[in-house]
This record gives sequence, C-alpha cells and structure tokens, in this order.
Amino acid sequence: MKFDNALKKKLLKKLKSYMNAEAEQLQQEDDGLSKVLKKLKKKEKHLKALIAAERDKDEREMLEQELNVVHSQRKKGITLLSSLRKKGDK
Amino acid sequence: MRNTLRKVILPSIMLILAYGFWVSPDFKEISAGVAIFLFGMLALEEGFRAFTGGVLEKILKKSTNKMWKSLTFGFTAATVMQSSSLVSVITISFLSVGMIGLVEGLGIVFGANVGTTTGAWLIAGFGLKVKISAYAMPMLVFGVMLIFQKSKSMKGVGYILVGLGFLFFGIHHMKEGFEAFQNSLDLTAYAMEGMAGILVFTLIGIIATIIMQSSHATLVLIITALSVQQITYDNALALAIGANVGTTITAVLGALSSNVVGKRLALADVLFKVCAGILFILFMQPMMGLVDGISSVIGLADDDYTMKLAVFHTIFNVAGVIIMVPLINPLIGLVTRLFKSEPDIHAQPMYLNEASLEFGDTALEALRKETARIYEKAIGVIAKGLSLDKQEILSDAKLKQVIKAHDKAVEYDIDDVYEHEIKSLCSAILDYTNRLSTDEATSRQVSRIRLANQSILITLKDVKHLQKNMLLYIDSENPHISAEYNRLRQRIAKVIRRLENIRSQEITATSILSLDALKLTLEKNMSLLHGRLDELIREGHISADMAISLMNDSNYTYSIINSLIQINHNHLKSEEGSETEAEHLIALNREEINSVLSDEREVVERR
Repeated sequence: MKFDNALKKKLLKKLKSYMNAEAEQLQQEDDGLSKVLKKLKKKEKHLKALIAAERDKDEREMLEQELNVVHSQRKKGITLLSSLRKKGDK
Repeated sequence: MRNTLRKVILPSIMLILAYGFWVSPDFKEISAGVAIFLFGMLALEEGFRAFTGGVLEKILKKSTNKMWKSLTFGFTAATVMQSSSLVSVITISFLSVGMIGLVEGLGIVFGANVGTTTGAWLIAGFGLKVKISAYAMPMLVFGVMLIFQKSKSMKGVGYILVGLGFLFFGIHHMKEGFEAFQNSLDLTAYAMEGMAGILVFTLIGIIATIIMQSSHATLVLIITALSVQQITYDNALALAIGANVGTTITAVLGALSSNVVGKRLALADVLFKVCAGILFILFMQPMMGLVDGISSVIGLADDDYTMKLAVFHTIFNVAGVIIMVPLINPLIGLVTRLFKSEPDIHAQPMYLNEASLEFGDTALEALRKETARIYEKAIGVIAKGLSLDKQEILSDAKLKQVIKAHDKAVEYDIDDVYEHEIKSLCSAILDYTNRLSTDEATSRQVSRIRLANQSILITLKDVKHLQKNMLLYIDSENPHISAEYNRLRQRIAKVIRRLENIRSQEITATSILSLDALKLTLEKNMSLLHGRLDELIREGHISADMAISLMNDSNYTYSIINSLIQINHNHLKSEEGSETEAEHLIALNREEINSVLSDEREVVERR
C-alpha cells in the first residue's frame, strides 16, 4: 500500500493536532486575546484623540470615563495573556 | 369542537342573511352598506400602512405629540370634513397600523367632537349642509387608478381614496336602506314632560342617529321639528344628546374590522359620549340656564331655539372634552382592561422552525434573530412604560428635550403585552433550545441566549414596578421628586440609545467590551443618586413616602439598566470564536468596575 506525499502530510498534520489539542487550544486563546488587545489599543488612541477635540464638558467626561475603562480592560487583558503564555511555557 | 362549531355557524349566518335579503330589499341594502363600509375600512388601513415609518407618520406624530395638538388636529379635521364619525373612523385606521398611540387617538376624537359642533352652527345659522358623500364616486375612480401605479406611496394614496370612497358609499347605502324606517318616525307621538320625556327623546335621538348614520341629519330633523313646534325645547336638547351618543355607531362599525387598539378607541369614544350624556341629563336645568346666559351674551333672541340648540351642542361637546381630558389615563386603563389583546401574529416566533432544528448553526442563528426581535419589541414596551416614544429615544434629539416633550404620564398596560406577546415568544425560545441537540460549544452559546431572554423578562417586570410611582411623580407638583423621576427615565433612555449604537457597530468592533463603560456609568449614577437622596431628605424637599418610593425605584432602575446590559452582553456575538471568548474574559466584573470608579474619584479629589 503506497501513500502519496500530500496524503502523508495531511495525515501527519491530523495526528499532530490530535496529540497537541491542548497546545492548540492555548494558541487559539492567545490569538484571540492578542487581537482584542490590539483593537483596544487602537480604541484607546482614538478615544484620546476624541477627548482632545471635544469641547463639551459632559461629553468629554464621558469619553474620559470610557478611556479609563478601556485602560483597565487592557491591563486585565495583558495580565491574562502573560499568565496564558506562562502556562504554555510549562 | 370549536372548529365544528365554526363550520356550522358561518353557513347558518349566511343562510339567515340570504333569507333576510329575499324577504326585505331594505335589509339587503343596509347589509350591503355595512359590508361596503367595512371593506372601505380595510382599504383605508391598507393605504395608511404604506405610509408607516414615512412622512405621513412623522407629520402625524408631530401634530399629535401634545394633547392640545391632538385636539386641534381633530377639531380642524372634523370642521373640514363636517363629520366627527369619519374622523373617528380614520383615526381608528391610524391606530390599527400603529401610526399613533391611543392617547393621541383619543385626543383627535375629542377634538373632532368639538369640531363637529360647527356643523350645528352652519345648519342652524345658514341652513347649510356640507355633503361630502358626493365625492365618493370620483374618489373610487381616482383611487383605483392610483392603485395600479408602481410607486408604493401612489398605491397608498390610491387605497386611502378607495377606502374613503367605499366608506361614503357604504354610509349612503345604509341611509337608503333605513329611509323606510325614517319616514315612519313621528316625533309628536312621543311628546312627554319632565325627566321621562328627556329620557325617551334621548333614546329617540340615539336610534334616529343610528338609523340615519349622521348626527347632522338628526340635528336637521330636530331643528325642523323645533321650528314647527312639533317638540318642546327641552325635548330637542334631549334629542341632541341622543344624537351625540348615537353618532358613535360609525366608529363602532369601523372598529369591527380593526385590531384591539381600534376597538379600545371606539369603546373610549362611546364611554366619553355616554358619560357626557348622563351628566347633561342629570344637570339639564342648570345647563339650560347656562345656554340662556350664553345666548343672551352673544345676542340671540329668547325664542331663537334653533340657534340655542347650536349653543347647547357646542357646550355639550366642549364641556365633555374639558371633563374627560384629565380623566384620559383612567379611561385608557379601563378600555385596556376591558379589551385585553389576544396573542396575535406578533406573538408567533418568526425564525424558529422545525427544519432549522436539524442544523446546529442554522438553529443558533434562528435563536439569535428571534432574541433580537424580542429585544426590539421589549425596547418598545419599555419606552411606552416610561411614557416615552421608542423612535424618539433612538433619534439624535437631545434626551433632555425628549423627556421634556413627554412630561405627562401615560398609562400603558405592560402586563398585557408581557402576558400576550413577550412571554409566549420567550417560552417558544426556551422550548426550541430544549429540543436542540447540542455539543459543549453550542450549549455554551445556547445558554447565553437563554440568559439574554431571561434578562428581557426581568427587565419588563422591573419596568412594570417602576411605572407605578413614575406615573404618579413625573408630572408631580413637587419639582424635586418630578426631577428625580425624570432623571431615572433619562438614564434608562440614555442606556437604550447607547446600546443601540453599540449594537449597530461593525462586527470587528469590541462591542462586548464597550458595555463596560455603561456598567461604570451605572455604578457612578447610583452613588450620585444616593448622595442627592440624602440631601433631599435632609432639606425636607420630599416627604418620607416619596423618599421610600424613590429609593425602591432607583433600585429598579439599576436592575433595568443592568439587565439591558446583560441582554446585550449575552446576545452580542453569542457565537463561539476565539475573539468573542477573549472579550468575555476581558470584560470587567462589578468589583473591577468599582475599582476603576474609586481610581477616578481619587483623581478628582487630587485635582
């Protein structure tokens, strides 16, 4: 019984993913967190620009409040990501 | 059993009618008139439906958003059309398609009742009778021509014209059919003195108007009879009262083909006229004195009874409106209780079907869409529960102004909608999720959707509790308590608006995380309110009862906003995905929100 190369590769990949299911799961979580953190960073910049341009006091206060929230979310996200990476290293 | 009964009843009624048609041509004409009239109502509703959400709806909303505007609208329309019944019928079709609310509808009907009195002046003063039924045929022709056009609004105008044409046509046939009975009406035969005479002539007025399908026609009859002294002056007044009550028959007929809201309006109209009628019968003597007084002020001769009748007719309707406008909320409460809405097509799930149960992803998508639909409905109910308008909350208008524009409490039966629509939709969702075979990932998503629906039900229950005191206090004479309750309304409206913005964000945005800013505002506002509440009590601006109500209701407001956030948290991006999961992980909990808040406070204090 002969296997061609493409089929061999496919089977090996499947076997690898089966053996490394947990690692893949961690990788997925890592990807998700990284993407969201990038978006939050962008949002933070955008909010800062909005605050600088806003003249209405109430509106600026609201934006500042939102900025604080985004900042805390990023902090939480970074902590989660680093603990996830530590877990992956072990 | 029910189906068998239906199968028997319908053919039996048809047979009886057919026999009636064979025996009496007049009966045939009257029945045909009723059928044409009802068909006209259907066409009219179809026409107005084409304009829902469009310019006409906006114009209507703008011209009826205050009670005085609704009254003026009704008054003008009835003066131009010279028929309050027609205005009532058109208002019922506006209501049936949801273009206006019951309060606005009642305002128009009340205004129309005053507007119709101009007819009595025209008849009594100039012997003039505006006959718009002559326009029925051209209306039908132009209407049908427009129906065949491609444009939606042209079609709409076409249906409205055809509807009005058929209404006039139907009324014309009913009148023709009743003419045989009208000729046999000899008023002198019933001449009686005292209260008995008043009651008998009121009844005759009611019957004559039902027969002639026009209170104007009855007024002509009364004025003629009065001028040849066939009846006494007080009997004529009793007839006029009867004519006013009898004229509601057209609205009642119109409501037959309408939905429950239309029926409520027709019933409210009948109650209005009957109450005013009873009141005037009881106070007939003082009213006659008032009529005499006003007549002498405007320079009418003592024996000018025809003009005095016009004065009486005007006082009757104006006084009726003055008495009933402040009682509009209890009246709405009463008719809503009497006409409970049954589960209708809106209470049927739109996306959940057997076929999609087989495919996990399709079923989840159906559940998401159905939940979004219930949420939309719930937002409408919450808006009405707070005496506000959903469209205005979601518009760009300043919320302070929106709240100011709706500064009067409007009763709205949340329980009715909850029981008949929302609850059955939510239980359909639960039932559907129970039948769904799920793996671990799907069951997580299903559980979020379930939680979202649960939060919708909790929100509505909380709004119901909040509504009780809110109705009492938003237009209270105590400016402090009314300001606080209006602030609570504004906070909920603001959250609804911000949530709508978040929901409409593009899919790449971090929508779940955007909800955290709302959670922060919620906590912040709660502590601000506690501070204000202490001050209000200390300064004695509000009574102990008010303070307790406000404390409870601020908790309800907190719960409503929290549930609204939870609904969106669980519903937004409820699909599985690495980013969604990450967003759920990063989202701040209550403790973390409070720590952001205390950090903020520290910064402010340092400044």
